[in-house]
Amino acid sequence: MQKLKVLLAGAALLFSIAAFSQSAEKYISSKSHIKFFSTTPVEDIEANNYASVSTINPKTGAVVFSVPMQSFEFEKAMMQKHFNNEHFLESSVYPKSKLKGMITNLSDIDFNKDGKYEANFEGEITIKDKTQKLEDSGTITVAGGSLTLDTTFDLTLGDFGITFDEGEMVSTKIAKSVEVSVKSEYQSN
Amino acid sequence: MKRRKIIRIGAILALAGLLIGGGIGLYMFNMPHRNVQSAQTDFSLTSSQIVSEYLTDKEAANIKYLAADGDSKILEITGVVSGISEDFNGNQVVLLKGNNDEAGVSATFTADSNASVSKIVVGETTTVKGVIRSGAAYDDDLELYENVVLEQSSIINN
Repeated sequence: MQKLKVLLAGAALLFSIAAFSQSAEKYISSKSHIKFFSTTPVEDIEANNYASVSTINPKTGAVVFSVPMQSFEFEKAMMQKHFNNEHFLESSVYPKSKLKGMITNLSDIDFNKDGKYEANFEGEITIKDKTQKLEDSGTITVAGGSLTLDTTFDLTLGDFGITFDEGEMVSTKIAKSVEVSVKSEYQSN
Repeated sequence: MKRRKIIRIGAILALAGLLIGGGIGLYMFNMPHRNVQSAQTDFSLTSSQIVSEYLTDKEAANIKYLAADGDSKILEITGVVSGISEDFNGNQVVLLKGNNDEAGVSATFTADSNASVSKIVVGETTTVKGVIRSGAAYDDDLELYENVVLEQSSIINN
């Protein structure tokens, strides 16, 4: 009986050690800022989104972003309406955009050691019903078990079937290529 | 003489048209954002109800709640406060989520309404009014349930 107790205690101890030593399975971010910026000779237009959800898997290097499109806020209400409408992003039919892919230089990043790491990314981005390849590089900052990702890339709207109908006030003003900047903060789960 | 008069009237009409058209254009261009808090609520329901509507039939829920121009339905959501955080814009984010629910409603407040969040605590039931931006769903890539996103929120029962 005494032996069994010792054995059970030992097993429990082993289990808890195993649970502790296992590093975070995934980093999850629900605190993010995605900004898109377009500049034309007429004016600069920017929209901000603070509602995206993202994950980074430190073992596989998988990165995923899910972006609610109606959360993009513009200074001008009319631009926001045009951005969402059926000629542009069709956000009521396609409420979310997605980015997913892999960090290609995973061995350069030590998720257990504080520091700033350059991360290269290869994947795809889906807006409306169109998917395009995306290559990008950004910075991952590891600090006390949490991560921050910073990156900037350009998107060509035409690649996603976003057309420029004449007479659409916004379409003529938004540049055909927009700059997207991303910052997100992750906690291990 | 008569011809001149017609031209004059024509010119005045054209000018008036231009002014009115230009005025409408300018108004449209500078039209303010809809004030979510002063607008009428479209639906009142619990966080569990809207999450279950979305998890049961996402397409139907999108048709019911999302508007093509982005001015989607204004909701009053009642639920248990399961978390309070801050976003990168400095706004308070309150998560309303039932204990047995897979997802909840994430409500982002505004510069005007942030202070009211200090009146609520995790574990208590509250009602939040805001505009829906997207619904709840299980995402295969994230391997997570995503919450319903509510923005321009404020607490209405405190």
